[in-house]
Amino acid sequence: MGRTLSTKEDAGALFHSLRSAYAATPVNLKIIDLYVGFAIFTALIQVVYMAMVGSFPFNSFLSGVLSCVGTAVLAVCLRIQVNKENKEFKDLPPERAFADFVLCNLVLHLVIMNFLG
Amino acid sequence: MGKLWLICIASISILLPFLCNAFSPETPTDRRVLVLLDDFAIMSSHSLYFNALKSRGFDLEFKLADDPKIALQRYGQYLYDALILFCPSVERFGGSIDVAAIVNFVDSGHDLIVAADVNASDLIREVGTECGVDFDEDPSAMVIDHIGYAVSGTEGDHTLIASDDFIKSDVILGGKKIEAPILFRGIGHAVSPANSLVLKVLSASPSAYSANPKSKLSTPPPLTGSAISLVSIVQARNNARLLITGSLSMFSNRFFRSGVQKAGSQTKHEKSGNEQFLTEISKWIFHERGHLKAVNVKHHRVGETDEPALYRINDELEYAVEIYEWSGTSWEPYVANDVQLQFYMMSPYVLKTLSSDKKGLYSTSFKVPDVYGVFQFKVEHQKLGYTSLSLSKQIPVRPYRHNEYERFIPAAYPYYGAAFSMMAGFFIFSFAHLYSK
Repeated sequence: MGRTLSTKEDAGALFHSLRSAYAATPVNLKIIDLYVGFAIFTALIQVVYMAMVGSFPFNSFLSGVLSCVGTAVLAVCLRIQVNKENKEFKDLPPERAFADFVLCNLVLHLVIMNFLG
Repeated sequence: MGKLWLICIASISILLPFLCNAFSPETPTDRRVLVLLDDFAIMSSHSLYFNALKSRGFDLEFKLADDPKIALQRYGQYLYDALILFCPSVERFGGSIDVAAIVNFVDSGHDLIVAADVNASDLIREVGTECGVDFDEDPSAMVIDHIGYAVSGTEGDHTLIASDDFIKSDVILGGKKIEAPILFRGIGHAVSPANSLVLKVLSASPSAYSANPKSKLSTPPPLTGSAISLVSIVQARNNARLLITGSLSMFSNRFFRSGVQKAGSQTKHEKSGNEQFLTEISKWIFHERGHLKAVNVKHHRVGETDEPALYRINDELEYAVEIYEWSGTSWEPYVANDVQLQFYMMSPYVLKTLSSDKKGLYSTSFKVPDVYGVFQFKVEHQKLGYTSLSLSKQIPVRPYRHNEYERFIPAAYPYYGAAFSMMAGFFIFSFAHLYSK
């Protein structure tokens, strides 16, 4: 009863189990994941554009990519701190985590607007 | 009353030297010409030529070349505006004139006509050398042409030649074509090909050579063919004009009136081309043709009228200049289609042909190049027979000021859009996060 499944069927089983496990996450975490995905997607679009057109206003490119990557990173931190299954941040109120998220985003966007030119 | 007379005479005598300048745009009329002769018989034997000059308003003063009282200048002011040397056999000039004085005279912008002849003296040859032409070294050499000689009843040694190898220039020779050939009897000279200021107006035919007609030819002659120049002109860089020729008899009444038939050609011309040729060329020598002046250089930005002190890169600007030509009596507009303007800094960044409005105004407009520095508006116009125009005006060009760049770079619009969409996304997300269950 050992190796009865091939690698292809292994990959398919893995994918199915991941999907079903993910379906079980709470809704607010899914919203954060959606936001991160949107940020990374925007960053990728900018990188592809730069590859086509060239890096002429390099400061604008960096500013645009940094805004996407920065908010993605901050959203990931928020998800870590808000996730109830995370033992490390058991004592941290989720409001505090959200307040940190908002403040850091404010600073980030201030820097971005300055560097955008 | 007496005092008034004294003041009048004093002021006139102070002004008089200033009236006898070289050709200048302020005093271009009625000039005094000194004519130095070997003997006064030339006055009557060449009277047609002198009368033509007098009828155009020139004051001719005839003196013998070794007259001890002749002088070109007194107390530093020149007494004459032009000099004609019809004295091929003078050994030493009288008075205060010598080769150095003649060279200084030309260097200060005055015109000169020199006619040498057979057995010309060393002095006249030296004057020719200073002007840039080299006469044949053999003193008794003449130009001989056994194929292009003038058919005549008397002289049979083919030293009287009929030449029609003219320079192609309407400015120098006048608009009307010279039908009959020119009668010439005298010595030839050579012009150095490296010299760009001397031009051969009348060259000998390829079959001519310069040698002594009375002695046998033992070695090949040094001057042969079309390299022999019969009549040359020099336009100096200070716009003084010189005429050098090797035949005094070319100017004589006899040659003016005689008919001419070139050997080997059927046509017999009633009158030689000498009178027309020499009259037209002396018009050029005395600046009645081909003397240009450029005035009123103006430049400004398109849409403005006053001249700025400096331009910015990528500015649109207009340049205009007025060019006139002296016609003998007045300044006429100069019409040409090859006056060019250079916007120059070490090399011309912009080279444009100025367009003329047929009334003497030349203008063009162009965009300042994308390079900053100190440029010059340069007009360099050098045409055969015309005075050279060399205008130059310096103008600085500055780069953009920090607030003259475009505010938003079109190539960066996606990045602007991404940054703002992230801000909007953050705003919407924070609402979604707070109000989700």
